[in-house]
Amino acid sequence: MASREKELSALLQTSDPPRGLLSSLVQRLIYPFLHGEPPEPRSPTGFYTDTTVCIGCKACEVACKQWNQLPSDGFNWSGNSYDNTAELSATSWRHVKFIEQFSDGSSSKRASLDDVSNESDHNRWLMMSDVCKHCLAAPCHQACPTGAIIHNEFENVYIQADICNGCSCCIAACPFGVITRDPVGGHSHKCTLCYDRQRDGLEPACAKACPTQSIHFGPVDELREMARKRVEELHRRGVPEAYLYGDGASDTYSELHSFYLLVDRPSVYGLPDNPYNPWLHMMGDYFRSIAGGLAAIAALFVVVFLLGS
Amino acid sequence: MPGESGYAHLPVTKVPGWHGLIAWDALLNGMATGLFMAAAVSELAAPAIFIPVAKVAYPVALVLLLVDLALLVSDLGDPLRFHHMLRVFKPRSPMSVGTWCLVIFSLPLTAAAGLSVLSEFGLDFEWARRLAVVLGLLPGFGSAAYKGVLLSTNAQPGWKDARWMGGYLTNSALLMGCAELLVLSAMMGQTQATVILRTAFIVLLVLNVIPLGLLFADLHPAHARLYTRGQQWLVGILIFAAATLIPLSLTLLSGDLPFLSGAVIFLLLGSWVIRFVYVKIPHTSPLENRRSE
Repeated sequence: MASREKELSALLQTSDPPRGLLSSLVQRLIYPFLHGEPPEPRSPTGFYTDTTVCIGCKACEVACKQWNQLPSDGFNWSGNSYDNTAELSATSWRHVKFIEQFSDGSSSKRASLDDVSNESDHNRWLMMSDVCKHCLAAPCHQACPTGAIIHNEFENVYIQADICNGCSCCIAACPFGVITRDPVGGHSHKCTLCYDRQRDGLEPACAKACPTQSIHFGPVDELREMARKRVEELHRRGVPEAYLYGDGASDTYSELHSFYLLVDRPSVYGLPDNPYNPWLHMMGDYFRSIAGGLAAIAALFVVVFLLGS
Repeated sequence: MPGESGYAHLPVTKVPGWHGLIAWDALLNGMATGLFMAAAVSELAAPAIFIPVAKVAYPVALVLLLVDLALLVSDLGDPLRFHHMLRVFKPRSPMSVGTWCLVIFSLPLTAAAGLSVLSEFGLDFEWARRLAVVLGLLPGFGSAAYKGVLLSTNAQPGWKDARWMGGYLTNSALLMGCAELLVLSAMMGQTQATVILRTAFIVLLVLNVIPLGLLFADLHPAHARLYTRGQQWLVGILIFAAATLIPLSLTLLSGDLPFLSGAVIFLLLGSWVIRFVYVKIPHTSPLENRRSE
């Protein structure tokens, strides 16, 4: 048995990296230019996160780390409620947020046992599992100069880790602060919406692990219908402030394929109140840039031509 | 702030980690592309006067561009993957447009610089050199124009509001290029070229105040969040003095080399400070956070 294993490992695998400096160099130069056939488009998928049923168990964070083999970030007391993950990062693709809201209107007050037992509209915990929004018109996708960021066949925003060169344009472009550059490898990383699991017909690890069905995964159209029904139900049950964030497109931003049911302002959850796609300004910025340059060239040409002749 | 509960007070976006290198990159990009374009425009407008100084300007522009490219590559998370930038062309990505412009620009610039050097050794291919200069104009302009759009088309606080960043940077590139060409011609003793470029430099200095003022107006709300009124005035006056008033005064005062060199040094210093202050915006904590700390 052992000798068979030895025999197999000695065989040259097609996926083996090339041996030798020259072939390694050639491979490194040529590889990024090899484009494969794009897969057939499939039904767009996404997440619908109902924050009203999130219990802050962080099972989604753990499942994400486990499935995607993401390293630990260490343990630090953030002082921000039970949130010690602090933010989405290259190694934390799910982040459970905790918001304490108590009767004195202060969010900075620590919860006492009495406060917790006296839960009402003004004494409540808000919890939300944050993740990449998988925007339909994603600024990170538009910014990426290498083509590393693509919309895959499920219309999820996906970073090809073997192509990214760490230019950070996507980080600057993301209005949700999702993408982060890994200080070790130097490449950008974020939620893949468990692309590997989806290809095998499985749901993402976080949605699978969520014990309260706060995180729903599925075809986006079905999720939207489900979410709208849930909002109506909450309105009927005396929660009129419930609404969907990112369910539809606004004047300044596309719809999100990972959208949320919230019961307070987006900024309370650390989300932009009015997300803005920076690309709406791009043509105007190019125009001003070209105009500024042309004005200088024209001035220089006129002075040189008049005085030179 | 450590210990404060909730997320409403925290910045939503993440900073891209572009620090001082990018300020130097923005400066060198402007110096290289501006010098090439100023030399090319001058040479094409009055060849008899400007060909000698232009032949020196192109190799200098090439050296500046190479240093700039080295900075750009070293600022990547994985510099060995720089060539991945060339696997696609995306018109909607300012970085992609800029990379392609720089790559294309580097070819005629290298040719113009090489042929200029060769002509010093008696190997004169004037028609080829002139062709390279003409071919370099468009990608050179693109290389100067993309940078400001890259730094304003994003979600970062302050940067996203800087509608005139591109207008300022492209205009400033030509101004810096004219300034460099002026010093080169003065150093080479090209009297007629120096006189003409001195006038052009004064005109461009005054012209540059317009996009600079518009950029300041764009950035005022962001600066008000980050700095006290006193700090804003101090930096504003320093920038205006270093980048405009002192160079203008020195150039008006005399056309001698020391005065012109002083004017150009102040201009470059002021230009660097403007770029540095701009790049710092998303990396600086809001004033109210700093006060409560």
